[in-house]
Amino acid sequence: MAGVKIKYTKTERARQKKILKVSERMLPLFEAMEKSLMASVNTISERIDQIKEQIEKNRKAAEAWLAVMSDSWVEIDDFISVKEINTKPIDVAGVRVQQFESVDFKVMPVSEDTPLWVDDAIHLMQDQLQLLAEINCLEDQIHLLEEELLDVRARVKLFENRRIPNAKMAIRKIGQKLQDDERLTIATAKVVKTSNQKEVCI
Amino acid sequence: MSNVVYLMSSLPSLTFGQKPPISLSDFKEDAKKQLSAKHFKMLERVDVQGNNGQVDKSFLKNVNTLLKEVYQDLSEIREARKQNRQANLIRLSLIAIAGNPLQREKQIMKYLWEELESIESGKTFSMTEVMVYKLKLQILSRMNSFNAKLGAEVLTSIVNPSKKGEVQ
Repeated sequence: MAGVKIKYTKTERARQKKILKVSERMLPLFEAMEKSLMASVNTISERIDQIKEQIEKNRKAAEAWLAVMSDSWVEIDDFISVKEINTKPIDVAGVRVQQFESVDFKVMPVSEDTPLWVDDAIHLMQDQLQLLAEINCLEDQIHLLEEELLDVRARVKLFENRRIPNAKMAIRKIGQKLQDDERLTIATAKVVKTSNQKEVCI
Repeated sequence: MSNVVYLMSSLPSLTFGQKPPISLSDFKEDAKKQLSAKHFKMLERVDVQGNNGQVDKSFLKNVNTLLKEVYQDLSEIREARKQNRQANLIRLSLIAIAGNPLQREKQIMKYLWEELESIESGKTFSMTEVMVYKLKLQILSRMNSFNAKLGAEVLTSIVNPSKKGEVQ
């Protein structure tokens, strides 16, 4: 409020009251939005942890045979690559984000003389790549939600620390000033009246 | 013939599961020195990964039949998996293909090893023995390439390229 000149008028007081009313109505909405965004970020973080656990579980399940992946007969990375990650737009806590749907893989056909383990490795890599793609998608969601959360927090602070207190202070100051003016007017009127009466008596 | 005797006598013996006592390139070098061009060409053609071309020698026929039937079994296993049924195998037993992918590859290699031994049986100091030696050496080299740490690195490099080299 410092540096802002207040117009001590009834119109200004009405305007400040309107600002206060709107701000007091908006603040709970922004607070609810903040809570909702935080809850969404936490839910997504938990999902990321779950997926990471699944990735680790898959890796541990394959640990006993991972040695075969260094087979000198096979270049396993020739067999599989990610073609496309499919997502769809959804709204999470009012923010438009991309939800993971599936991964399209480019899988080379295995020939008759391809070792059998290649099939298992392709299957494992598809699982892991799919889970990692989902994590990437969720991390992007968190990034967008956190950006929105920062914005909402700034708004909450603005309402809590600036708009509402400033409006309240302005209303109080204008009220006092108007009251003082009114008293002054009455006092002046009384003085005028008394002096008029004295003149009449004389 | 004497060259084959000399070559085979100079080569270390091979045991299934051991680290290859000689590299494939060293073996080829020795063989090239000792064998005639015709025999060396024959040796070059034989490969445990199949594709030994059109052959007329009975040994290559035997090896080709063995490999062809083993690979047919692999195809049958794949088909059976897709159709969710039991595989009808020509060569491999169901026990041989049980276990995890690593155990399975080792069992298939062991089967090939044993079949190769039966093919070379009674053919001491012959081209058959030389060719079986090469195939066995290929099997040992392959099995020696199975390495848990390297395998984990291969997986990481594919599923998470940014973390390549971070595998413990």
